[in-house]
Amino acid sequence: MTRAGRVVPVLLALTLPLWLASPYFLHVVIMAGIFGILALSLNLLLGYTGQLSLGHAAFFGIGAYTSALLTLRLEWSFWLALPGAVAASGLAGWLIGRLALKLRGAYFVLVTISFAGVIALVSVNWMDVTNGPLGLPGVPAPALGPWSLRAKSVYYYLVLVAVLLAYLVCRRLVASRIGRAFVALRENEALAESVGVDVTHYLVLAAVVSAAMAGMAGSLYAHYTRFVSPEVFLFSYTVTMVIMVVAGGKGTLAGPLVGALIFTALPEALRAVTSWQWQMLAYGVLLVLLVFFLPRGIVPALAAWRARNAP
Amino acid sequence: MNGLVLGGTYALLGIGLTLIFGLMNVVNFAHGEFYTLGAYAAFATLGLAGTHFVAAVLAAIACGVALGAVCELTLLRPLRAESIDTTMLVMIGVWITMQNGELLLWGGVAKSIPHPFPTAPLVLGPVSIAPLRVFVLVLAAGLIVASYLLIHKTQLGMAMRATFQDRDTAALMGVRIGRIHTATFAFGSGLAAAAGALLGPVFLVYPSMGDLAALKAFSVVILGGLGNLPGATLGGLLLGVAEELGAGYVSSGYRDAVGFVIIILVLLLRPAGLFAKQERIG
Amino acid sequence: MATRWIVLVALVLAAIATTPGPAQSQAPIKIGVIEPLSGPVAASGNYVRMGAEIARDWLNARGGVNGRKIDLVIEDNKSDPKEAASAAEKLIVRDRVPAIMGAWGSSMTLAAMPKLEEYGVPMVVETSSAASITKRGNPWIFRISPPSEMEALGLEQYVDKLGVKRADFLAVNTDWGRGAISAFGDMLKRRGAVVGAAEFMDQAATDMNAQLTKIKGTGGDTLFLTTAVEQITLVMKQAQEQRLARKIITTGGSSSPTQLVKQAGAAAEGSYHIVFFMPWFPEAMPDGKLARMFVDEWSKRGHPFEGLTEGFRGHDGIATLAEAIRVAGKDEPKAIRDALWKVSLVGVNGPIKFEKDGPAGKESGQSKPSIFVVQIKDGKVALPW
Repeated sequence: MTRAGRVVPVLLALTLPLWLASPYFLHVVIMAGIFGILALSLNLLLGYTGQLSLGHAAFFGIGAYTSALLTLRLEWSFWLALPGAVAASGLAGWLIGRLALKLRGAYFVLVTISFAGVIALVSVNWMDVTNGPLGLPGVPAPALGPWSLRAKSVYYYLVLVAVLLAYLVCRRLVASRIGRAFVALRENEALAESVGVDVTHYLVLAAVVSAAMAGMAGSLYAHYTRFVSPEVFLFSYTVTMVIMVVAGGKGTLAGPLVGALIFTALPEALRAVTSWQWQMLAYGVLLVLLVFFLPRGIVPALAAWRARNAP
Repeated sequence: MNGLVLGGTYALLGIGLTLIFGLMNVVNFAHGEFYTLGAYAAFATLGLAGTHFVAAVLAAIACGVALGAVCELTLLRPLRAESIDTTMLVMIGVWITMQNGELLLWGGVAKSIPHPFPTAPLVLGPVSIAPLRVFVLVLAAGLIVASYLLIHKTQLGMAMRATFQDRDTAALMGVRIGRIHTATFAFGSGLAAAAGALLGPVFLVYPSMGDLAALKAFSVVILGGLGNLPGATLGGLLLGVAEELGAGYVSSGYRDAVGFVIIILVLLLRPAGLFAKQERIG
Repeated sequence: MATRWIVLVALVLAAIATTPGPAQSQAPIKIGVIEPLSGPVAASGNYVRMGAEIARDWLNARGGVNGRKIDLVIEDNKSDPKEAASAAEKLIVRDRVPAIMGAWGSSMTLAAMPKLEEYGVPMVVETSSAASITKRGNPWIFRISPPSEMEALGLEQYVDKLGVKRADFLAVNTDWGRGAISAFGDMLKRRGAVVGAAEFMDQAATDMNAQLTKIKGTGGDTLFLTTAVEQITLVMKQAQEQRLARKIITTGGSSSPTQLVKQAGAAAEGSYHIVFFMPWFPEAMPDGKLARMFVDEWSKRGHPFEGLTEGFRGHDGIATLAEAIRVAGKDEPKAIRDALWKVSLVGVNGPIKFEKDGPAGKESGQSKPSIFVVQIKDGKVALPW
């Protein structure tokens, strides 16, 4: 990428609340940021190790619930609850990674779906802790000393820092020896093992990092919407993440972020241009068309197009 | 007994999905929508036009086969060279499109399909079961047997088995892979539609009914092992019965957890599926 | 190359951002509506929308409010709390609605509530039953539907007539189902009845035989059923197949006995239903003339009769907001909020008047809706007494 290509988006992101006057658009951008972290985290598993987790909403939900419960029940500050949520989700990721050690492909998918299913049922039925289907309203907004970070423009920067952090973690990981091990694992596991890559170790590592990132997104979500209910485990959230990663371009660093931005803005854009009857139908058709014309995702397609047009 | 009725239709769903999964390597998210399609087809024929129940099931199968074939030819065939995630994403798109299309077409109000059977239960010793459920069980069993015959006794079935075992060799032997894929997808969709038409009158018909069905179908496939037909059949029956019995002992809130826990346990203990001997079809 | 793209994207974003919302001035008065129009409870959400549209058309036919027409801005919350919050944000910021009606399910309403506080826009809650909604100290919430406790109190006077001695519960595993079990359970215990099994079912579950088997074992005389009409149909059919001889009482008021007669047939015979609107006997409603008009208009529009028990909520919600706007004399959120405390009207359900509920200083409004019981007799909906 050119120098300007890097500087301009950073500049745009940093100044966004200054020129994006409408709080509604800011809301959409914040949601896109939270889903961007989720997409980055899913991409780590799907795009780099080639393992599809269809229970990713579970890690998101665990993060959201942990953070909400720590601040509501134990009255921890957000700044302690956030790492708490990251740790809890990371632990769940470690569990899944260990459990699914020997499983690949479709079987890994099923274990993650089932795990998410069980967790969701626990959230509904464990009334004493989770308040069941009633959910947990009144999750406090984070505060920094005497200042509340409740204002959208402030929360935006919080999310932006988190996105940046997630992005940098991914980039470091992917560029390191670990990242090369991930890819080796995806491309040819037997070969990777034969040259001494400890497959188990790396898979568990990927699962832990990915889950912890999803937990961070969950915590940010809980303190932003200030209400957590079992719907955070909805399968449709996982599906949305998959759409963002694959349509954006799996196995690329920018792809999930681009996907998150587009697929958070698209439903809202459809709200503006068409009546409710047609919104989801149009969403489905647009998705089919997108995959049909850009089967490898938006970012890889752009890269290929740029390579073709390069002087 | 009710577990068997449910299990029979789970098996139908599972067989279709396991074939598509095993043979085409497509994670078919839209599978549940073909189930919904079948149920609405049965509603249109049985409920509105007043045809015979068997005719309604046949009509549903025809709809499922036709739309399945269209789907394969227009969407999956051009994308066959792409990765499994790409085809999965396209099927997610089809899923969203079909479900909301149905919502637009039929409205969100659940429909009840009238059926000609008496509602009073048949009592056979300690068990009582509604005549409709007996009929559904018989039809489901018939369809499962028919699928076996198709896979094992026909040329198409042989070609399908050959493709599953080794696609390249099969292609060299003159099997036209493209056609086999179309046939498989259409066949699987037809079975899902049949399951929808069968369960429609037992339950109710509404646009989002396919979501739960798809989840069950995926569970069945994993229980039975990929591409394993007897496995899917047994897995379906097992899941149906286990859910029925499980709920008697566990708190009903955790009822659906039974299925999930079984899946996790099966995968940990026998990762290739409960009934897998070796990876082959049929 | 990349730079060119980024500039383009930035330009488009800037263009979107600076596009002004539609002008306000003497244009119609907008009211936001958030309902589940797709997803598993789409049917109910759409009925409420239809009722709201009738209220709008009637108001406009009478010349609107304060000489201005009413315009509904309808958003789908897709039965997802996240979408409910987004929809509220969009309605308030982009469409600049001064008041909202919504959002059907309690978790959707709870998710939208912080937005109301953030921007200071009142919302009339037309369906949600969770007690916590009006107890949270959100002064922008005005509820016209009864929380489960109020519904249970409404039934209390009939407990002896119904002859409830040992009751079991089967409810959908949501805030609504759980709330109903505890509210009705408390009321029955107070009346000296025994409370037996409390079973739950998943929202999407279709096979409730296992729960029914368990309930059959308790030897009670009454089964309280709290869920959507689709599941009630299935439970009744399956109860009949299992020969479960119970008096069935459905709660929640959305149960649409007409649909049960149609879909469950003989299995629904003899069951009792708590409803908030009796379209079969509009004359028996507090405002018989209005109820009759509403039923006639509904059928004239070709809406299904079974939707009436849900559709009236939409009418009453919009009528309440229109009345508040008339009292306020302007379509400004704070003025409407203050006026909501002063409104007193009779809706299809009955009198609507808000009383204070929740922590002092930040009370929410709660109206006390009328509650009725009907029974299915000989395949028809009848008054039991």
